[in-house]
Amino acid sequence: MHSDPPPSLEKRYARIGVVLIAPTVLVFCAVILYPLISAIYLSLFSIYTPTLAGEWVGVDNYTALLASGDFWNAALNTLIWTVGTLMLQLVFGVAMALLLNQSIVFQSLARSLVLFPYFLSTVVAVLVWRWLFNDLYGILNHVLLIAGLIDAPVNWLGQMPNAMISIILVGAWKYFPFVVIVVLARLQSIPEQLYEAATIDGAGPFQRFTDITLPQLRDVLVVVVLLRAIWDFKEFDLIYLMTGGGPVRATQTLSLLVYEEAFRLNRMGMASTYAVAMMLVLLGFTLVYLRQTNRLEEG
Amino acid sequence: MTDWLSIEGRSITRRDALKHLAAAGLATAVGGCGGTDEDGTITLRWWSTQGAPAQRAAYRTQIDLFEAAHPGVRVVFEAMSDEGYATQLAAAFASGEVPHLITHMPSFAVQGYYAHGLIEPFDDVIEAIGADEFYPGANDVYRAADGRYVGTSIGNTAADMLWIRRDLMERAEIEAIPETWDELRAACRAMQGGGIYGAPLPYGLNSANSLTFIGFIHRAGGSVFTPDLEIALDQQATYDALEFYRSMLELCPPGATGYSWGEMLTSFVSGATATGLYAGRVLANVAAQNPQIADSITCALYPRMSRDIPAWTYNDFPCVCIPSAASNKAEAKLFAASLFDPAGYIPQLHAAPGHVLPVLETVAENPAYRDNEIIDRYPQEIDLMASAAAQGYNLGFETTAHQPNTKAGEIIASNAIAEMVQRVVLNDENPQAAVGNTVTRLEEIMRS
Repeated sequence: MHSDPPPSLEKRYARIGVVLIAPTVLVFCAVILYPLISAIYLSLFSIYTPTLAGEWVGVDNYTALLASGDFWNAALNTLIWTVGTLMLQLVFGVAMALLLNQSIVFQSLARSLVLFPYFLSTVVAVLVWRWLFNDLYGILNHVLLIAGLIDAPVNWLGQMPNAMISIILVGAWKYFPFVVIVVLARLQSIPEQLYEAATIDGAGPFQRFTDITLPQLRDVLVVVVLLRAIWDFKEFDLIYLMTGGGPVRATQTLSLLVYEEAFRLNRMGMASTYAVAMMLVLLGFTLVYLRQTNRLEEG
Repeated sequence: MTDWLSIEGRSITRRDALKHLAAAGLATAVGGCGGTDEDGTITLRWWSTQGAPAQRAAYRTQIDLFEAAHPGVRVVFEAMSDEGYATQLAAAFASGEVPHLITHMPSFAVQGYYAHGLIEPFDDVIEAIGADEFYPGANDVYRAADGRYVGTSIGNTAADMLWIRRDLMERAEIEAIPETWDELRAACRAMQGGGIYGAPLPYGLNSANSLTFIGFIHRAGGSVFTPDLEIALDQQATYDALEFYRSMLELCPPGATGYSWGEMLTSFVSGATATGLYAGRVLANVAAQNPQIADSITCALYPRMSRDIPAWTYNDFPCVCIPSAASNKAEAKLFAASLFDPAGYIPQLHAAPGHVLPVLETVAENPAYRDNEIIDRYPQEIDLMASAAAQGYNLGFETTAHQPNTKAGEIIASNAIAEMVQRVVLNDENPQAAVGNTVTRLEEIMRS
């Protein structure tokens, strides 16, 4: 009677490997792949959100998206918001990290307090800021009026460009501590000898910053920029709670547009189409990020 | 007792209806199903868009009364928001995790959900409450195209009354409360100054703007839809309303470009504006937060373009309805009917006196209802709001001649009308272009 030869050790290891990796693959499929494929699948239908009933429309949603002024307007707003708030986060974040890297009084306390905005709930932060911006009772207008800088209260959130500037500023305040954390960690690992040598060579503080600090921070800043760009690009709660996308559609970003389509207009199919478009843009960011991290690892 | 209604070809009394509901509730409790704990306790979830502290306390009283009368049933109250209920319900319906009872949502939203089979017919609950205890025609707004009722009003609300300060009128030598737009504008201009603005109209990108502006179209003699639901927005009345709205901006606080209901209320109650546009909650809030002006305030029907145009008051007909996917529907119906029991209903009305007005004629005439400090202090205002609300309308029910508009909820949620206002008033865009753009959006929504 013929019997199969026993599998080689290599094959048995391979089978064990498959078994061991299976849970991870299953979890990945459940939480990443399934929603991803679902979104793409839904984007090919016209679906009423509350009942999830709908009909096949093929690529009609994508055609409508490309022809839609709302999409391009939201894409532009998303770009302005992302670039604006990211730039400020970097400037504030690096400046604060440099300050906190010095030997200052209450250094530990200052390092803890600077993280406060980042850990604060967005809803709470927005409520506080909306109160500060309030036209009748807000302290911002009150101070400006007392200082004689304005004659009448400024409409911070209800007119352009104030609304966009306001959300960019609040976004920068909320998220710059992330930049501080990362940059401060890198600053602490720069060899002190580099600064000592530069000082002996006659370099002033500005030269030491441009010739030593910035080059040393470059790699970490690239990663920070990419991560924050991805997170800011898909920001929803802060903008929705601050302006709701208004006035008109001047601060409506792609995330808000997805929300409007899905839950206000009950068009889940169209919302999925916008979400897929967002995903493609984010995929671009992610690929750059992965390439950069690979390069750093190789370096 | 003459309360009866024909259900499936036979007549039943109100007492019978309650018995049937109770029996069905018991059967469901014994059988056990979704929303039932291991120990057999049934938990009902009650969602409402109105959850002010005083109202929550009144709801607690109603819940306690119901739970005492129905051992084994527990009711949990959960608050929604006026701007957020559409989102919360869309998610709830899609997931199947629906509440057992929804209250205070506008009638047009209920009609929209019913059209998609998401809401349970309500005829038997109305019968259990007592159909002839309601004001005549009070439930017309809840009659669906199939002839069934999809809910009922938990109260009436005259949402866009003109509130005005008599002390400021005297100071500005204004003798009569404005009845036309020209008079209102002149009065606001005369009263504005010294840190006080004329009016707090909502110009934000929100439902308050849309719902309010629809009233202005009607007060210019127009409508958003024709009675057979053709879009009628591109008409002179819309342009007149937009022009008036634009002219009022300089008389509103700077932040009015983002105002919604909350800011409209606060600005008048705090004394920041000489006039207000809101429902009866103003009375209780002024009494509690700014009693110095309590003797000076009064309300009137909001002015219209000219005296020969009939008044039009926005009433959202805050609902009571039951999702069709809810479990333990029999208990939910029992609880819905119990909300109108005078022992709990009157305290609930007193929690927002003048804001939520009774829909039951028998309750309005009940001395216990009139026995309230606010209602006693402002009898003329309360009576005016009650009569205005009883003849009130909204986008789902623009006039008595209009068919129910089941897309009204989505139109309001889309902010299409608010956006039109912002385009013209804030961006100074051509009104014809803005209206044309809005008509296109409304067509898309009506087609979807």
